[in-house]
Amino acid sequence: MSQEAKPAPVMASEAWEDPLTASLSTAFPDAGLSFARFRGQEFVIVPAAQVPALAEYLREREGFCYFTDLTVVDYPNDALRFETVIHLYALDKARRIRLKSRIADTAEFPSLSGIYAAANWLEREAFDMFGVRFAGHPNLKRILLPEDWQGHPLRKEKSILAMDNEWVRRHLEIESGQ
Amino acid sequence: MTSHLEGQELTLNMGPQHPSTHGVLRLVLKLEGERVKSVECVIGYLHRGVEKIGENRTYAQFAPYVDRMDYVSAVSNGLGYCLAVEHLIAVEAPARAQCVRIIFAELNRIASHLLWLGTHALDIGAMTALFYTMREREDVLKIFENYCGARLTTHAFRIGGLQYDLYEGFEAETRSFCESFKKRLDEYEKLLTKNPIWLERLKGVGVLSAEDCLAYGVSGPMIRASGVAWDLRKSNPYSGYGQYDFEVPTATSGDSYDRYLVRIEEMRQSIRIIEQGLERIPAGPILAKVPKVLKPAAGEVYISVEAPKGELGYYIVSDGSLHPYRVRVRPPSFINLATLEKIAVGALVADVVAIIGTIDIVLGEVDR
Amino acid sequence: METTSPMSGIWLAIKRFFLLDLLEGLWVTFRAQRTSQIVTEQYPKERPKVAERYRGAPRLNINPENGETLCIGCDLCAKACPENLIVVGTVRNKETRRLDLTTFTYDLSRCMFCGLCEDACPVDALELTQDFEMASYSREGLIWDRQMLEEGPRPTHYKS
Repeated sequence: MSQEAKPAPVMASEAWEDPLTASLSTAFPDAGLSFARFRGQEFVIVPAAQVPALAEYLREREGFCYFTDLTVVDYPNDALRFETVIHLYALDKARRIRLKSRIADTAEFPSLSGIYAAANWLEREAFDMFGVRFAGHPNLKRILLPEDWQGHPLRKEKSILAMDNEWVRRHLEIESGQ
Repeated sequence: MTSHLEGQELTLNMGPQHPSTHGVLRLVLKLEGERVKSVECVIGYLHRGVEKIGENRTYAQFAPYVDRMDYVSAVSNGLGYCLAVEHLIAVEAPARAQCVRIIFAELNRIASHLLWLGTHALDIGAMTALFYTMREREDVLKIFENYCGARLTTHAFRIGGLQYDLYEGFEAETRSFCESFKKRLDEYEKLLTKNPIWLERLKGVGVLSAEDCLAYGVSGPMIRASGVAWDLRKSNPYSGYGQYDFEVPTATSGDSYDRYLVRIEEMRQSIRIIEQGLERIPAGPILAKVPKVLKPAAGEVYISVEAPKGELGYYIVSDGSLHPYRVRVRPPSFINLATLEKIAVGALVADVVAIIGTIDIVLGEVDR
Repeated sequence: METTSPMSGIWLAIKRFFLLDLLEGLWVTFRAQRTSQIVTEQYPKERPKVAERYRGAPRLNINPENGETLCIGCDLCAKACPENLIVVGTVRNKETRRLDLTTFTYDLSRCMFCGLCEDACPVDALELTQDFEMASYSREGLIWDRQMLEEGPRPTHYKS
């Protein structure tokens, strides 16, 4: 996982410009949006604070009424380590768009559960797995793991093997289960 | 004598071990009498950390794990994963592989809906339906076994196409299955569709409006029963679905009975697709050229397929190395289950069982 | 749904009174009672016939002509396995300059029978057979060594 010698490879995305990006740029001129496309799939990189407004705009004006997915990717080497990835879908245009935004470890991401009800459980799962807090979520508690579980497993800090060995050492008092 | 009865709230735990929760699902019901005031879903009893496992396996090695999520319809899971990785490495499976994939995906849809019908009817009380649907499902699973060697966790497809070519007698077996299944489907309808008990238990139970469906991100037969005619096979066709002629059944009122009708009709349409597929299997290679040691370029894709439960999506982030950087599975059962906390309010306890059945969840997918 | 004309209402009442729709459902049930329609297999008296490609117990194949193992010790199966449960032990033969197989350990308790090892083997030495009766009384019994892999499990056949 460590990349001391060479830098991590970067996605070879291409620029994306079409009426949707134009209307988004006019609606959010100072938001710092950037648009790109990879393998034919379009995404918008947006600062975290702007995400609710952008999502609402996409739903009301552009017809992206369907909340497909919300997840988090962990880049521990970056200052803004968590990247929240949101997929929205417009049913009548059969078009999908991805919103990516970064936040730091201790920061809070604005919750979208007020705009899309689907975000409720998905944000709980992101909190459970990564520890990302969502400001304004009505019921932010663990959903998949037990309530008293310590730690956030999908963070990149520990490998599976290290976590497994730690659990085995703590509970079974043997060196390793391998 | 008139006495004012005060209602007292009872908290009932429909524990993780329960025959009707389709897996290890725990519901904490707050009841007033027999009516549900609120329901809280406690899930995670089958959480196996599939997404974390994905970060420690190569792309080819992760394929058997995705079968285990929605274990009832493993072929769709595999199809979605293979399509996602193929999109990431910009490789397309050859035409023969695509056609065979469609046939198996539709057989898989039939198998999944049969299991749903059997267990749903069993929960409601119509126990005979379970035996007949299992009998049909045996035929489908035999075809899977003859093809790839496993009945449930099939690992049928590989990245780039197929590993196995069709076996001798595949066409004859599948055709005979299609013929007999059409008659059997009519039999199920004869037993259930106009049955007054069935109608009583399901009509008006668990109504989900179209706006709620869209707001909750519901997909699959649930949203189609609420009137939204959206099917990923038609709107964003993959693996050659655009060339097939089939209809997408919808219904209007979004209650459990409509979901039942939609799924029955989907099984009929699946037979139609399978028959078309059998007509047009092209000759040719079954596996595209994919490097043995697969290191995709850095990037990310999101590809989703129409699994029997809904929109099953894979979001794969690659950092150029052997292992994916992140594999996210968009689980339809998990997102559909979130609606339970809304539509079970005001229902009777017996209706909660019917509603869980009609949402069609598989806990392996809810928890991953 | 049904039209609510008076005639169909009367027909419905007749059906309900004479239990005709009940008999219709019962006829479906009784039709399935014929011996030819029984799908239950009486295991262990009759063992199910599994498919040719069935992914069951692994087996190390032996060359029928000279009785030597077909395995060339390339370790591709171990690399392909998602669970890393194959350990191939080899020693380099000084004369033929090839690798000779010494030990081959397969941990069946963690195997998920995905078939990736079988696909990876270039000489068809490792094969997943149609054997599915692999039960053992201990966890160690499920870690198969080379001899077990070559001969296959021999489950005790109880006389019925």
